[in-house]
Amino acid sequence: MQEPKIKFNNVTKIYKTNRQIITAVKDVSFNISEGDFVSLIGPSGCGKSTVIRLLDDIIKPTHGEIYIDGEGIPKRKKIPSEQIKKMGFIFQQPNLLPWMTVRQNVALPLRVFGLKGEKWESNVDRLLKMVGLTEYSDAYPTEISGGMVQRVGVIRAMVHEPEILLMDEPFGALDEMTREQLNIELLDIWRETKKTIIFITHNVEEAILLSSKVYVMGTNPGRIVSEVDIDLPRPRTLDMIITKKFIDFEKKLTDLIGEIDLSKIK
Amino acid sequence: MTKNKIPKKIKKKGSDPINWIAPLVLLVLIIVALEAFVRLSGINRIVLPTPTAIFAKTSAAFIQDLWFHFLYNFKVIFIGMLVAVSLGMLLAAITSQFAVIVKAVTPVVILLVVTPMITLIPLMQLWLGSDPNIRILVVMISCTPIIMLNTLTGFTNIESSKLELAKSMGASKMQIFAKVIFPNAMPQVFTGIKLGCIFSTIGSVTADFVYGMQGLGFKIQQYTKYVMTEQIYGSIILIAIIGFLLYKIVAMIEKKVVIWKL
Repeated sequence: MQEPKIKFNNVTKIYKTNRQIITAVKDVSFNISEGDFVSLIGPSGCGKSTVIRLLDDIIKPTHGEIYIDGEGIPKRKKIPSEQIKKMGFIFQQPNLLPWMTVRQNVALPLRVFGLKGEKWESNVDRLLKMVGLTEYSDAYPTEISGGMVQRVGVIRAMVHEPEILLMDEPFGALDEMTREQLNIELLDIWRETKKTIIFITHNVEEAILLSSKVYVMGTNPGRIVSEVDIDLPRPRTLDMIITKKFIDFEKKLTDLIGEIDLSKIK
Repeated sequence: MTKNKIPKKIKKKGSDPINWIAPLVLLVLIIVALEAFVRLSGINRIVLPTPTAIFAKTSAAFIQDLWFHFLYNFKVIFIGMLVAVSLGMLLAAITSQFAVIVKAVTPVVILLVVTPMITLIPLMQLWLGSDPNIRILVVMISCTPIIMLNTLTGFTNIESSKLELAKSMGASKMQIFAKVIFPNAMPQVFTGIKLGCIFSTIGSVTADFVYGMQGLGFKIQQYTKYVMTEQIYGSIILIAIIGFLLYKIVAMIEKKVVIWKL
């Protein structure tokens, strides 16, 4: 059997503050195969953002091991460059650097990773063209719309050709129409590039539309509660949303999340 | 009594002439009003001379020897500020690397900011003698603390989302500082430099008072002895002009550097 692309093995993250001990995630284990599109869904505080930050070495686990392509991530030291280059992170808040133009923001990972040369530079132009932002390449982040900012965030995470994309509620701050459009664009990108994607959302409809598998997470402590395979046909289209199968999935996931909320009250 | 009319035509798009016409008109109005007030009220020229007298006598003095003192102060302040900016930013950069050091140093810097550095001038005269270039040192110690404080604040107040971005790319500490922390701090840095401008003129003129021999502060003391009040007011205005020019230079540089915050 092929080695999973990403493997979490009993990963726990505990924060100690002055007043209390917070278990952000406890005993999280899962395998993700190469080329999979997986969603993490759950209420606030379930640790879904923590999970992808653990993977991208933004924070370190308290217990447990994380593997990328079979190689473990060091538990104390910084992740080696070869490993982190495999990942691209797309944030919830548009955190483009305001003192850089759109083009410079997109090229930032190339500068940090030290990737020089024609091939890499041409990625910048190609990606800008792909999301229709070529005209705005010399504009500053304050001069473009919210949807454009998110697009820049997405292509920035792709410019260094990572094999894995980690997306933390990337379309949460946008209106419904823009979000649906970007969902379809994202599926097109995924189909073409065959990357492994972990997608975080609190929007059940979005999770079902995009993914092959949904992990439902719960709070107190943050953990994986359930795993649901989404066997809808691909390519996915927006009109699938009204089909019975889709609605059944929606109900199933909503119920699972509802149980978590109720169990909090109990 | 005549008043200037505000020109109705705007010639260029972009740099709106009203930006300098409006204050200029106000200035002219104030001068005219003062002139009228002094003439009509018969106030003694020792207390407040007419603006025209101030202008006339000061211009004469300027051509004679005042220009030399004007340039002297400008030189002292300019060089002092340059050193203060470099030193303040360097110290802030070094301190900001370790949270513990930031915590230890910040109250000390605040103390230096609020203590008038001009109180050290007599001591400095004792230690270092009467070399006129010591005044540059005075300006330097007056301005460095505030520049350092504001720069330090700029370096340490960074949104966690920007730091996360850097970490998600595995950026080294040096890369994070150069690409994220430093540019992010620029607005704060310029605020600090502008505040430094205030302290610079104070420091320079006070040093003139104590050391004498050169500078507009020294000339003010001279003029006072001979009750040449017109020139006193004129010198004060010249000092203000130096401060204003300095501030404008900083603002111009800021416009080029901090392009994203309008």
